[in-house]
Amino acid sequence: MEGESIYEVDSGDGLGADIISTVEFNHTGELLATGDKGGRVVIFQREPESKNEPYSQGEYNVYSTFQSHEPEFDYLKSLEIEEKINKIKWLPQQNAAHSLLSTNDKTIKLWKITERDKRPEGYNLKDEEGKLKDLSTVTSLQVPVLKPMDLMVEVTPRRIFANGHTYHVNSISVNSDCETYMSADDLRINLWHLAITDRSFNIVDIKPANMEDLTEVITASEFHPHHCNLFVYSSSKGSLRLCDMRASALCDKHSKLYEEPEDPSNRSFFSEIISSVSDVKFSHSGRYMLTRDYLTVKVWDLNMETKPVETYQVHDYLRSKLCSLYENDCIFDKFECAWNGSDSVIMTGAYNNFFRMFDRNTKRDVTLEASRESSKPRAILKPRRVCVGGKRRKDDISVDSLDFTKKILHTAWHPTENIIAIAATNNLYIFQDKVNSEMH
Amino acid sequence: MEFKLEAHRIVSISLGKIYSARGQRGGLKLHKNLLVSLVLRSARQVYLSEPCCPPEPPAAPRALPEEPPPPCAAAAAWAPGEPPPPPDEAPRGGPRRPGADCESARARRCCCCGCCCCEAGGGGAAPPLPCCSRKRGAGERGQAGSPVKKPRREAEEPPPPPPGEQEDMETGNVANLISIFGSSFSGLLGKDPPGRRRAPRDGGEAAAAAPAEAAAEPGQICCDEPVLRTLNPWSTAIVAF
Repeated sequence: MEGESIYEVDSGDGLGADIISTVEFNHTGELLATGDKGGRVVIFQREPESKNEPYSQGEYNVYSTFQSHEPEFDYLKSLEIEEKINKIKWLPQQNAAHSLLSTNDKTIKLWKITERDKRPEGYNLKDEEGKLKDLSTVTSLQVPVLKPMDLMVEVTPRRIFANGHTYHVNSISVNSDCETYMSADDLRINLWHLAITDRSFNIVDIKPANMEDLTEVITASEFHPHHCNLFVYSSSKGSLRLCDMRASALCDKHSKLYEEPEDPSNRSFFSEIISSVSDVKFSHSGRYMLTRDYLTVKVWDLNMETKPVETYQVHDYLRSKLCSLYENDCIFDKFECAWNGSDSVIMTGAYNNFFRMFDRNTKRDVTLEASRESSKPRAILKPRRVCVGGKRRKDDISVDSLDFTKKILHTAWHPTENIIAIAATNNLYIFQDKVNSEMH
Repeated sequence: MEFKLEAHRIVSISLGKIYSARGQRGGLKLHKNLLVSLVLRSARQVYLSEPCCPPEPPAAPRALPEEPPPPCAAAAAWAPGEPPPPPDEAPRGGPRRPGADCESARARRCCCCGCCCCEAGGGGAAPPLPCCSRKRGAGERGQAGSPVKKPRREAEEPPPPPPGEQEDMETGNVANLISIFGSSFSGLLGKDPPGRRRAPRDGGEAAAAAPAEAAAEPGQICCDEPVLRTLNPWSTAIVAF
């Protein structure tokens, strides 16, 4: 993997760069959207490959920046609503414009991104600045013509889906029917029509009659990539539920429940926390699901509910440090996971700005670091290793010198090529595998 | 023994998290607080169910009295401020907060758990040791449950703190807090303080919860004025929350 580009997401308000909270490629990989803690969205566009300058092919540059959400105040509950963007999901492109959904804790917004590269000139009644002309100076009529101008990207909010959630929205997912999408909070999942903002349909509700009986919450959800009636949601207890919207209107009863029995030898005070699923992603094929919990990533086959088909240890050396990680809150970090385009490699982030990739076919894995040194243009990423005692090789990092403030929670993989986007706090790293840029 | 200390530490950390979650921007994070409450519940169960001095099996290497050393509830009978009696002394009568004794016992020397967990101040969770079994039989639960009643009684009549036992006082308060907070999630979400809530839990409690623990009425304790006065500011904040 080669270091490609780094972008620092700067709020421009003098307070420095803001923490990136979500990263998402669009369906072609031409556009990459990031959301941050300040409610801003930055969209990057890949430059078309140029035969003249082969080295600059496929670089991502800033395409548009806009303020998606602002901090709000809920007067009824006396609570501030954070503007942090929790998730961005692109809609499949249906015309010249691009559309995406962005959400904070409470409100989902549909944004339309259009380009303007021509403008009309030669009006009869107004001059170049738009001021009305003195009619006495108009002696002949002309037909306005479209003249090229510098590219302008315009972003407009087309829909605002508000007041659908009592609890914090953790995920949104666009249905393959391209007409509906769902939004999930801790206890409920709502189905929306993209064109209708004044009502939504509740499809999952796990709120107990008595809140004191609460034992689990919804942590992530996603529609199946091909079957518009199927979706999955994960829970804080480590289980996955596949639901079929054809079966009933309210999908409280799952069609399938995916759960692995806990290993009793690993039982500790923190077993419940580390089994909570922080992210779930369908494979591109739709046959598998990928889940991330605190220490592992697991691949589940939709046809097997009893256990995952593959389990990969992300950083098992943290198992003996769970108490300290509980104390400093790191145990609550929610890492995301990603598939590559051919579903043969999975990726997830870790601490110390490390991220891990697991090849499902060769069973090989690699640890890479997102750092300024490794990201000089065309610098090759060097595999890293965390040593847990025993023989220590040169350049190994010991577990105790890991920087737990540098965490890679959000990663994204280009839908077809070996290009990855890594969010490390307030920096966005984009890496390309130029040698193997074709998918195998 | 070490489990109890670990559990105590985790309980303190958890309560601190719940307290600081109140002022968080964006409102209460349901998921995180649920997880914290689950950890708190596990730690509390260990803390309350594990005796100060677990009964040693007869095959233990150390010299034992004819009667096995008493479980924590009776060991709670040690007079305050004194070093724990060697196992061959009969326990003296009189009520005493069990938690406090364990704390002082540990501080001075690792007492009757001769064959296990003797590293005072050991860091990290120790693996389950054979004679400090966390799983307790049904019969023992009744006994394990009784320490819960002790802090409750004591909380209603605030005892003057013995001199030089600040550490014990804190442990005692934690024990109070545990019984007050209860094993349910009620304290975290309601706008009302837990005191105003009617009998939380029972139906929703995990099967492992001891009936004796469930019998501790968290709501009622919170209401008592003298109780509120004895709690340190930390715990008062939790009550209000």
